[in-house]
Amino acid sequence: MQPTEKDRLRFASLADRLLPQWRNMPAASAVRVHRDMLDLILEVRPDLIEDFFRGVRGSGEGDPSEAINMLYRNDHAAFNAVNLVAVAAYYMTDEVRAIIGYPGQENAPYNPQETPAYLMDGTLERVVRRGSLYRSTPQG
Amino acid sequence: MNEQTGSRAQGSRRDDVADVLVIGAGPSGAVAARYLAASGFSVVALEQGHWPDANEFPGRRREYELVAQKRWHPNPNIRDLPRDYPVDTKNSDINPLMYAAVGGSTTLYAGHWTPFLPSDFRVRTLDGIADDWPFTYEELLPCLEEIEREVGVSGLPGNPAYPPQRAFPTPPLPIGKAGRKAVEGLDRLGWHWWPGTNAIPSVPHNGLNPCVRRGTCMTGCPEGAKSTVNITFWPHAIKSGARLITGVRVREIEVDGRGLATGAIYIDENGRERRQRASVVILCANGIGTPRLLLLSRSKQFPDGLANTSGLVGRRLMMHPFSAVLGVFEDELDGWRGPFGQLVESFEFYETDPKRGFLRGAKWGAMPGGGPLGVTSFVGSQIFESDEGGTVEEVWGESLHKLVERRFNHCLVYGIIGEDLPEESNRVVLDPELTDSDGIPAPKVIYKVSENSHAMLRFHVARCTEAVEASGAIETVVVHQVPDTGWHLLGTCRMGADPETSVVDPWGRAHDVANLYIFDGSTFPTSGGVNPTATIMSVALRQVQHMIAERRLQEAA
Repeated sequence: MQPTEKDRLRFASLADRLLPQWRNMPAASAVRVHRDMLDLILEVRPDLIEDFFRGVRGSGEGDPSEAINMLYRNDHAAFNAVNLVAVAAYYMTDEVRAIIGYPGQENAPYNPQETPAYLMDGTLERVVRRGSLYRSTPQG
Repeated sequence: MNEQTGSRAQGSRRDDVADVLVIGAGPSGAVAARYLAASGFSVVALEQGHWPDANEFPGRRREYELVAQKRWHPNPNIRDLPRDYPVDTKNSDINPLMYAAVGGSTTLYAGHWTPFLPSDFRVRTLDGIADDWPFTYEELLPCLEEIEREVGVSGLPGNPAYPPQRAFPTPPLPIGKAGRKAVEGLDRLGWHWWPGTNAIPSVPHNGLNPCVRRGTCMTGCPEGAKSTVNITFWPHAIKSGARLITGVRVREIEVDGRGLATGAIYIDENGRERRQRASVVILCANGIGTPRLLLLSRSKQFPDGLANTSGLVGRRLMMHPFSAVLGVFEDELDGWRGPFGQLVESFEFYETDPKRGFLRGAKWGAMPGGGPLGVTSFVGSQIFESDEGGTVEEVWGESLHKLVERRFNHCLVYGIIGEDLPEESNRVVLDPELTDSDGIPAPKVIYKVSENSHAMLRFHVARCTEAVEASGAIETVVVHQVPDTGWHLLGTCRMGADPETSVVDPWGRAHDVANLYIFDGSTFPTSGGVNPTATIMSVALRQVQHMIAERRLQEAA
């Protein structure tokens, strides 16, 4: 099932109730959660499709605030699908990731032979000096 | 159905009688197959899943966090893949987690490497509860050290929570900003901590690449840097001649007129029923799958299920009730950066102190907080729940922005693994209605978290909260006893010397069937308060070494 232009615009209006513009954070529609990200999410999470479209298409054409609150009260599964798609799409966009400082999961090489700070500043030594914690195997 | 064989197995046919049939290609099955094949046994292994493809792991993709909640979720009922079998959990406080693949559930594990401690093998003697194991920590230690070399464990020697042992084969991973934040509090309180020991090497080792801290360990490591037996053990086993058949589901272990196992009936992916004959059968299908298969293998000789004279097959299920404490800090902690993996571990409250109002204890593992989608939920529980009368905008909207601003990149999480004491009422049975895709009855889990576990987790949550506050947390969040955390499936085929109170003997051999063995965690008499993979693999090595040494005395069908 592919979203129509009407579906996309309705989803964008609902998503803006969940993720409105706030301080330096853009509204959901401003980062186009209803375009490529929506397509990607429906591709990788086909389990959401039925509930998502029921939520978007069942929300009518009226006031988005009333619609999303009605959805929350009357169809939790549809609300959860619309909510998850909106939130996931939002935080998958380059714009939002740049603002919150999230580069995505990335490689962070390190030198495994480098002596850790806790070995040089005495922190771990204090643990060792407090002695063993384990109970030994009883003899006999 | 796929089959991988080594050069020594070329020419073997499906109707051959194998010396040993291994059922399940996870950690214990891999240990068994590798050492048996290297000792000249002909080995056939059957695995319901397939070889994992690291290119399919989502950790390099933008949608990683989203698919972690479905395709890569550790709960088979949520994942709902064709190779998964369903589990009826309506009567269980905890959902069992597992993964069907070569490598088993370690495909999705976090790689915390925490062997059982000496007291874990002497619970009855030391604390007057549950049972002692039929061997000691010291007897198992040589096996542990050998396994650690193969696994490529990273860690720092000298941890005072454990007796002295051989150094780990690779240096410790960086504890990162989140680990240092955890250490601040533990150091201030004078409590035990140690840089995390993980089944994740920091340098190339035994076919593994070094960890690059991508932080996606729990959806499979796309870097090939998390130690799983599809990388570290199975290639050696196959090179020594073992045959590994994947994508097949075993439905019954067969026996002859003398009550000896003759092999297994399995169903391939085309729905065809096949038979693999063997002189010896070893079950390695985890604490749910192993009792399920024994209960499925009913016959005139064994009307209550195979190897079940004691009535204990499926009973004493232990799954480690789990709670978590999240600390939020002013500082940026690189909360998405791995390993994931434990950065820091603490055994401060591991050993029993009766004054606390419960017996036994728990281990803490400090982990990073995760990506932005992760902080909008928390270890399986929704943070956002609208109160009666609240509007969506009040709960989401600006509140969501504020929460992500406050928590993302500013969190560390303590996971608390508490010892789960064995109770016969906690058990696995066959579901009367639910089946897998081959029509085989599915397991049903009946499990209640005990009062001892509740009291233990309450105590540890309180101490953990003190620890994050001592680290300077500006906010703490507690999730008590999370349902989707049944990673550790233990105890359902207890090991012991007495056939009336155990299913297998101290070497993993079924009391009732002289050529049937169980090498997985279902044989554990008690669960410890730690992640069990290190001990599962070490016990499997102990048992297989004994089987090899005693091969001339082995009775066979």
